[in-house]
Amino acid sequence: MGLMKSHFGSHIGLSWKINNEGADIVSSDFPALTMASGPYNYSYIFKYIIIGDMGVGKSCLLHQFTEKKFMADCPHTIGVEFGTRIIEVSGQKIKLQIWDTAGQERFRAVTRSYYRGAAGALMVYDITRRSTYNHLSSWLTDARNLTNPNTVIFLIGNKCDLEAQRDVTYEEAKQFADENGLMFLECSAKTGENVEEAFLDTARKIYQNIQDGSLDLNAAESGVQHKPSTPRSALSTDQTQNKEGCSC
Amino acid sequence: MAEKETSDLLSSGSQPNNPLSRKLNKILETRLDNDKEMLEALKSLSTFFNENNLRTRRNLRSDIERRSLAINEEFVESFRVVKEQLDSVYADVKAVNECCQDMSSRLKAAKDQTQDLISQTTTLQAESQKLQLRSQVADAFLAKFQLKQEEIQILRGTRDGSLHPEFFSALARVKQIHNDCKVLLRTNHQTAGLEIMESMALHQESAYERLYRWTQSECRLLSGDSPDISNKLCQAVEAIQDRPVLFRYTLDEFGTARRTAIVRGFIDALTRGGPGGTPRPIELHSHDPLRYVGDMLAWLHQAVASEKEHVQTLLKKCKQTALMLTAVQDHVLDVLNHVTEGVCRPLKVRLEQVVVSEPGSVVLYKLANLMKFYQGTIGNIIQSSSALVCTIEEIQTLCLRMFFNTLSINAGRLLEKVELPPADLGPTTALTQSLQLLRDVLSSHDSSIVPLDARKTDFAQILSSIVDPLLQMCSVSASRLNTVDMATYMINCMYLIQNTLALYEFTDQRLEMLQAQIDAHVDTLLSEQAAFILNRTDLAHVYGIVQQHNPAQGPLSDIHGLDAITIKSAMARFDNYLASPDSYTLPQCSLLLSSKIRESVKKHSIELICHAYKQMYKSLFDESNNYTEPHTIVPRTPEQVQKLLA
Repeated sequence: MGLMKSHFGSHIGLSWKINNEGADIVSSDFPALTMASGPYNYSYIFKYIIIGDMGVGKSCLLHQFTEKKFMADCPHTIGVEFGTRIIEVSGQKIKLQIWDTAGQERFRAVTRSYYRGAAGALMVYDITRRSTYNHLSSWLTDARNLTNPNTVIFLIGNKCDLEAQRDVTYEEAKQFADENGLMFLECSAKTGENVEEAFLDTARKIYQNIQDGSLDLNAAESGVQHKPSTPRSALSTDQTQNKEGCSC
Repeated sequence: MAEKETSDLLSSGSQPNNPLSRKLNKILETRLDNDKEMLEALKSLSTFFNENNLRTRRNLRSDIERRSLAINEEFVESFRVVKEQLDSVYADVKAVNECCQDMSSRLKAAKDQTQDLISQTTTLQAESQKLQLRSQVADAFLAKFQLKQEEIQILRGTRDGSLHPEFFSALARVKQIHNDCKVLLRTNHQTAGLEIMESMALHQESAYERLYRWTQSECRLLSGDSPDISNKLCQAVEAIQDRPVLFRYTLDEFGTARRTAIVRGFIDALTRGGPGGTPRPIELHSHDPLRYVGDMLAWLHQAVASEKEHVQTLLKKCKQTALMLTAVQDHVLDVLNHVTEGVCRPLKVRLEQVVVSEPGSVVLYKLANLMKFYQGTIGNIIQSSSALVCTIEEIQTLCLRMFFNTLSINAGRLLEKVELPPADLGPTTALTQSLQLLRDVLSSHDSSIVPLDARKTDFAQILSSIVDPLLQMCSVSASRLNTVDMATYMINCMYLIQNTLALYEFTDQRLEMLQAQIDAHVDTLLSEQAAFILNRTDLAHVYGIVQQHNPAQGPLSDIHGLDAITIKSAMARFDNYLASPDSYTLPQCSLLLSSKIRESVKKHSIELICHAYKQMYKSLFDESNNYTEPHTIVPRTPEQVQKLLA
């Protein structure tokens, strides 16, 4: 009896496995499906950095964007942390690698090293605290000095859900953004309002720069990495030929 | 019949009595209407008996007999035909019978003959059925325990080494068959089981070998900046997990490819920078040690984070059970160790260069803190026992050692060339410089990015490396001074040290110690100050005797130098002091840097004076001391003195 049972069980297992694999094979026949199913298939990697004063909600923005949740008791960031998410721009899968920096002054020297090679910089202030807005010019100087000229800088006024405590008007910040050639949106990491847009608009702008040819992809330090998918097979045959040549 | 009856009737009529009468009666009783035979007979008689006359009546009998004869003859004639026909029928039937018998015998014979055949057929049929069943079973068996031709083809693969999409299902089938063989072994099919197992094992081996080769060559290609890890490769890695050695090798291969990539990327970032020189190469900032080291470590931090993602992508399909999960985690960390090992050398060389180039104590200390920070940050992503983290730790230790080294060199220099205290008894330049250093170090310590508890540890060492030699230097340089100068100088020095330390955390114990030492020197100073005043007013001698006086020695007024006149003149001087107490202050006291200590010395020395005055006053008014009119000698009460001095 026991034998029968075990045999039966193994049979079930077999058929399940084959079914499963069958499904995989089906999906691999349709590239679009694989793109959707596998979270790691993408054609570009964009590197972002989030900067701004302490407590303006940088980590919360990141968390809202990657997890679609609001983190209520967010501890101070120590040094830098990072998150990733795959998005789609003009039908291209793009992986965002987002480096969230600490706003505390004592980490300033450390966080400066992370501007290097960022394709996008999200500069965040808190609309309820004027001081964080006043410090923007210093953040902007850092961002301009330490990144590419092509780096897309996006100004974010966070906490726009706290309208009653507003300390910086939209118009004022908009003017600042226009004067400095920045993109600008007011967001709320708490409600999620405009968060998606800020990250995606930045990616769109970067993608547009790539299309225009103003961003050179040929180096890792540009903050963008392109992953061509078609020439790979050709490469692999080359490799094997080489290998055969070697083995002789 | 009718004739017979009539004859009977006639004959019986001749008999007397009864028989005749009976006959008669019978005849009479006979109802001709009812006797059908009689009627028939009469009817047929009427056909040929046309004329009823004598002759005919006489001839009736013979007629009838002739007729009868004729009828009989006719009858016989008729029957002869019948008989002949019957005979022929008989003959026919007989023939048929014979025929049948013959046939039946032949049939019987045939039956006897075919019985064998039939039974043979039946057995054959049964056998055939059985065989058919067996064939079905065998087919099912083969379907379950053998590979299809195309599956074998898939497993063998194509010449160019690429992997068929169905490869993994075929491999899974081989594995399944191999496993199912256990059932065969447990039942009575050991031979088959063993054979199948063996052949499956062969298939499996060759398939794994091919899979390994493919995976290996795929992995070798992953040395780009960002590797494109295909689903197929993930699947391959998952499949190869069953062969731990091959799995290990595959991961090694992957690690080696990534290691090359990360080293190249690191060197590029160091020396070439981004496209068109932006961002600029990291080495361009090598003149700024903090930025240089920070940039390198930040680059590595980001690279390590990306590498971890890559490894996790590669192993994403391997997570099967909770048990395996930890193994997968271990593998991820192992691979990361391998991947990051490559950058250790270039990193170490550069870090060492920076540390050894003597950038100064404060920078060294900041560097050590920076490295400590990255040691933790990178250690969170990869194992803290990995080569990269160990390298950073090693350099961090070296850096810290260098830092303490510069501190001790500094301390040695301090003690070697001890400066004499300046005329104003203030701090020497060496002291000011060292305190500036201490301030710099402590403020960088304060803003250090290392967590609080980690900071506390090397704190004691910093303090003892800077503060202890300083104190030592001060004592040495003060050793040739007189008591008052020494006390003042020491108070000033320690006050400055204390002031510097008070701004920073973890210094409470030190501060307390310094306070105690300052207090001791202040005590010295204020007793000197009080003695100075008493000396200047000539009361010191008086006070000394009053303090030591014992009633048994007799009245005070008898003692030499304590006569009323002498005391009176001393008191006059004391009055002068009371008129302008500030001019009686020791010059050193005004050199005290801390106004608080200055005030405290003044206040406490006045207290001492008041106390002494009170004691003397009391003794003078003591009658046993035999002073006549003591108020003329000491006109002021202690309360008045206190008020005047306050």
